[in-house]
Amino acid sequence: MNNIIEVKDLVKKYKEVKAIDNLSFEVHEGEILGLLGPNGSGKSTTINCILSLLNFSKGSIKIFGKEMKPDAYDIKAKIGVVFQDVAVFDELTVYENIDYFCGLYIKDKEVRKQYVEDAINLVGLEEFKKFYPKKLSGGLLRRLNIACGISHKPKLIFLDEPTVAVDPQSRNNILDGIKKLRDDGATIVYTTHYMEEVEILCDRVIILDKGKVLATGTTDELKELAKIEEKVTVEVNDIDPKYIEEVKKLKNVDDVIYTNNVLLITYKKGKNNLVDMIDYLKKESINYNKIYSERPTLNDVFLELTGKELRD
Amino acid sequence: MTVFKAFWKILNKNKFIIIMYTAFLIGFGGFNMQTSENTTSYVATKPDILIVNYDEEKGITKDLIRYISDNSNIVDIADNEEARNDALFYRDVNYIIYIPENYNNDFMDGKNPKIDIKSTGDYQSSFAEMLVTRYVKVANIYQRMVKDEDELINKINDTLSKETEVEITSKLDTNGLSKAAFYYNFASYSILAALVYVIALILSSFKNKNIHKRTTVSKTHYRTINRQLLLSNCILSIILWLFYVVLSFILIGKVMFSTQGLMYLLNSFVFTMCATTMALLIGNLVTNKDAINGIVNVVALGSSFLCGAFVPMEWLPDSVLKIAHLLPTYYYISTNETLKTLEEFNFETLKPIITNMAIILGFAVLFMILSNVVSKKKRKIA
Amino acid sequence: MFRHNFKYALKTLFRNKTLIFWTFAFPIILGTFFNMAFSNIESSEKLSIIDIAIIENDEFKNNEIFKSVFENLSDENNKDRLFSTTYTSEDEAKQLLENKDIIGYLKIENNNPKVVFTTNGIDQTIFKYVTEEVTQTSEIIKNLSEEKIKQAISSGNFNVNYEEIYNRIVELTQNQDVELNNISNKKISYTMIEFYTLIAMACLYGGILGVVAINQNLANMSSKGKRVSVAPTSKIKVIVSSVLASYITQLIGIAILFVYTIFVLKVDYGDNLGLIICLAMAGSLAGLSMGTFVGTVFKANENAKTGIIISVTMLGCFLSGMMGITMKYIVDKNMPIINKLNPASMITDGFYSLYYYDTLDRYIFNIVSLLVFAFILITISYISIRRQKYDSI
Repeated sequence: MNNIIEVKDLVKKYKEVKAIDNLSFEVHEGEILGLLGPNGSGKSTTINCILSLLNFSKGSIKIFGKEMKPDAYDIKAKIGVVFQDVAVFDELTVYENIDYFCGLYIKDKEVRKQYVEDAINLVGLEEFKKFYPKKLSGGLLRRLNIACGISHKPKLIFLDEPTVAVDPQSRNNILDGIKKLRDDGATIVYTTHYMEEVEILCDRVIILDKGKVLATGTTDELKELAKIEEKVTVEVNDIDPKYIEEVKKLKNVDDVIYTNNVLLITYKKGKNNLVDMIDYLKKESINYNKIYSERPTLNDVFLELTGKELRD
Repeated sequence: MTVFKAFWKILNKNKFIIIMYTAFLIGFGGFNMQTSENTTSYVATKPDILIVNYDEEKGITKDLIRYISDNSNIVDIADNEEARNDALFYRDVNYIIYIPENYNNDFMDGKNPKIDIKSTGDYQSSFAEMLVTRYVKVANIYQRMVKDEDELINKINDTLSKETEVEITSKLDTNGLSKAAFYYNFASYSILAALVYVIALILSSFKNKNIHKRTTVSKTHYRTINRQLLLSNCILSIILWLFYVVLSFILIGKVMFSTQGLMYLLNSFVFTMCATTMALLIGNLVTNKDAINGIVNVVALGSSFLCGAFVPMEWLPDSVLKIAHLLPTYYYISTNETLKTLEEFNFETLKPIITNMAIILGFAVLFMILSNVVSKKKRKIA
Repeated sequence: MFRHNFKYALKTLFRNKTLIFWTFAFPIILGTFFNMAFSNIESSEKLSIIDIAIIENDEFKNNEIFKSVFENLSDENNKDRLFSTTYTSEDEAKQLLENKDIIGYLKIENNNPKVVFTTNGIDQTIFKYVTEEVTQTSEIIKNLSEEKIKQAISSGNFNVNYEEIYNRIVELTQNQDVELNNISNKKISYTMIEFYTLIAMACLYGGILGVVAINQNLANMSSKGKRVSVAPTSKIKVIVSSVLASYITQLIGIAILFVYTIFVLKVDYGDNLGLIICLAMAGSLAGLSMGTFVGTVFKANENAKTGIIISVTMLGCFLSGMMGITMKYIVDKNMPIINKLNPASMITDGFYSLYYYDTLDRYIFNIVSLLVFAFILITISYISIRRQKYDSI
């Protein structure tokens, strides 16, 4: 597998505060890499360092196997960036905005025309071509922001929280678009603090906190890190406390918590736990309204690793 | 009361604007109101003259310089032609007299030597020219008869010292009143600009689409909201007015305690109320903050230039004054100008002032009606 | 690339209504106000006919000199006419004075002329001065006649023709035309300065356009700038083309302002069109350089930077006489260094020297100052733009 980006021992200090602390990771060709972390964990700073926008104190960054520099135009030509803030001209229409930013990469007018149309189709702004940004809703504006960043069909794309404050429809549209870009052969670095998105989208995830890598792997691999494997929730009308003690002794059970008629059972290992539980309830003739099983989320992993929630 | 509180919070954020326009008022007001002694006895107006003497300072030359100096302000300018030309252009001097070389001798020889002059062409320079002409004329006449230099100079001075008796009838402190008029004329700009800007900005915050939606759907009746806004605006205006009044007492002093001074206060109060209603109208019409800035500048500068807040009314062309009749500022300033020389207070003399105030109030009512119409129309979002 | 960016930079500038208002429309509106307010000032400062009254008592009727002098100076056909005179009774004159129909009246009593005014003023001073002149002329005639007669008698001529001597002397006093040689420049209209400061203001407001050009292309100033930074194009190239678009926009605005002030407001910029254009271009460049300087050196949002440009411009214009022409003179005379550093004053003074002076030394000095000013600021801007990575964004 080819490494598209190699970051080694990256350190970035703001005065005395270390925003990035000895960060090393790789991005493989053709993958969607998620950079997950709470606000202020150093995601954007990392991207800005990779893009040579920021000075950094130590470390090395290679893109496409070459060292990244401000005037490494051959590298830059193959990169597309979608920044966190919407960066478009209020005075230009949707079409003109994309055409302008595309023009910074593509000289040929005919090619550019086609590329701009493609980008508009990708984010689904066909009906809004002649609109000025002020007339667009928040979600549509985000889509325009993405189109401006990727219209030149880059091989490597950075997306910095592209779905902040976006309605569900636009979010789905955006996530579908990103998958399509990957399917067309692009490598994608995606930062977010929405773990659901990471789970749906990313092939591999890096969890960051305070400028350090906490864990790397696929979502499934990461979930292995959590001590628990499964959670089963039972909503009952009433239950005799003696049963709670009994449940604790069942196979694989790690802990049982009972509050407000809800029984929460966590398991260390996960196979057939839900079925076993249903069987048990039937056997003891305990009435219940609802029973369901959950796999642990990345939030649980993050909680496990740092002792705090991903989103405060 | 929530509306009221929000109003003052937004105002606090925009206080810089008020400070700026007040600074203008103090700056320009102070700059143009340098104290000069008030007198009720006769004082001659003296033109500013520069004498460039290429002759030796003796005889007729010396006496000419003395005569001009006695009747004018001699200005000291750097000794080069460019500085003199600049001084003339910027009216630092009204008149420059170049006394040629050997003037005294040539004059005594009856050659009637020519004097070069430079002149701005205004009335001060015309008067300066009268002074020079007068002296040379008298000197020329005596020179025909008297050959002795000292005797000649004595005769000239004897003649030129004959003065006419003067009586000044007015007991008014015209100087102080002019200062007050200048201050209050300029204040029309500060009041209009500051009020319109701040009130329109605050209203635009309230009329902001989303906030507007929220207030319209709230349980508070829109009339209550409007009433609270109006009340807040009025209080703001009154505070600003009081502030400028206090400032005028500090800057102008005792003239303000006269009946005329009281009239200045009353007039400016009426005008402030009118400016408030104008601000409400503009605030209701325009909600874009960028546009407000442009409109304030055009409205405030426009009515100040056209109505004589910056340039005295008597110097404005008739065509401009005709247009000015359409603006409330015109009536405000013309009252200030009338007050400057108003000595007796009776119905006859106060009639034009009362008429002016009535017209200003008429404008205020008109602005109120218009802004109600506008705000009613805008209640529903199109 | 250069052309692509240039084209879009122009588009964004011309579609920005606020920007166009302040750089294009506002100077024109302000110029119109200036024109309305100042068009009469200079003519109202010229001496106009003064309304006076004279008490028509017997003494005045018998005083030939007073009668003829005031008749002459009130004559509508006299090009040196000074007065419009009403001959009336004292009560009537008092009434006229109170109604401000006249500035004062003259009363001769017991061979003693007296003038009555309500207040002091230049018109009053002139009225008084003329009455004095009449008295003094009578004095001269009396003195000289006596002297002549004395001379005649002492030389043994007892058959003196009093009338002839008197007439000759009156003639002498009347035929004394004093010739003054007016060598002042005919172009001395100081309100022109107002319009020159207006041009200066428009030139410096162009700095706002410069700020825009810089801000949208620098990564540490705006997110649009980050886009430019990660694109495979030279940042300097993009910025130069944006700045050029700003300059062109600015020049178009200045050109419109010139056309308007010359053809509608009849402003006189002197005769040398080429030099006027050079000055306007140098002035605009100075404004633009101020914009690029503020744009690169200060780290703030566009509004704050625009605020800086507007404040600096207004201060500069104030010092060069926009809010009172004497201000420029006071500064020039007392603290010349301030206006030598003030670009608004360099522009204003440049136009002034073209209008008022025949020589070009002062004009050239101003143009060179503007170019040096622009060069220094652009160099500083260039140095800080060249930096490619930032410590923080």
